Amino acid sequence: MKMNCEHHQDCMQLIQKILDGEASVAEKEAFYANKDLCMPCQKGYELELSLKENLKSKCQLSCPDQIIHKIRSKLFLLLILISILIPLFC
Amino acid sequence: MNMEVEVKDKIYSLGNAGRIFEKEFMPHMDAMYNFALKLTADEDDAQDLVQDTCLKAYRFINSFEPGTYAKAWLFRILKNNFINDYRKKSRGPSKVEFEWVEQSISGEDEAAEPAYFADLQAETVNDMLGDEITAALQSLPVDFRMIIILCDLEEFSYEEMAKILDIPIGTVRSRLHRARALLKTKLVNYAKSKGYN
Repeated sequence: MKMNCEHHQDCMQLIQKILDGEASVAEKEAFYANKDLCMPCQKGYELELSLKENLKSKCQLSCPDQIIHKIRSKLFLLLILISILIPLFC
Repeated sequence: MNMEVEVKDKIYSLGNAGRIFEKEFMPHMDAMYNFALKLTADEDDAQDLVQDTCLKAYRFINSFEPGTYAKAWLFRILKNNFINDYRKKSRGPSKVEFEWVEQSISGEDEAAEPAYFADLQAETVNDMLGDEITAALQSLPVDFRMIIILCDLEEFSYEEMAKILDIPIGTVRSRLHRARALLKTKLVNYAKSKGYN
């Protein structure tokens, strides 16, 4: 297995493109054929994957119910206002 | 009596506008709140930003095509709202970080990426708490933060991100790459300071 990658910068960009679902079939095939032969690419792939998965799973919050309630109340008031005002101008 | 919401290309009755709002927009409240909170870094501002975005979306509901991607449409409104009304209040990036953003925006893609990510292992990231990763994300300049949220948390495609952010797809790619590089430097420094292996 290679311990140094002479194209590491390009490989890291390709890894991100693959994990983002933006790489072509040919790009994916070329990368996966090479990945297990190159330590920096393998480590880079694992790191990018873990970053993506951890961001997705650990950095999400739910919207507080009070905001949803406030928005629905404001829209309800808006609808009432429109219902009252439109007939006055029609 | 058939009452209607503001008309542009088509007309929705008030009932239909309400139904579209509930069906198409409300399922994205969690995502919008997350985006707003990470952009403003302030709960009150995030709440106001989400409310303003929803009211604006309702006001311009006639320009929304049911069946198209409501989430991308809402995120675009939210991002514009943030830039116009909230950005000045949020914490600005340091000079060094700002230069990175400038390089990214001006398309200087070839600037060297820092080479010290070998210190950051997947296992270290897996061991980190959500608050630690969130803190690293929050410390990025807002343009970098925004693109990582859109891509990694909300899973928008590059094309959708280009439309939301009003930038070319090549800039999406280069900004995302730089944002991730900077996030990794933050995580490396954090991991070292906390004694992670």
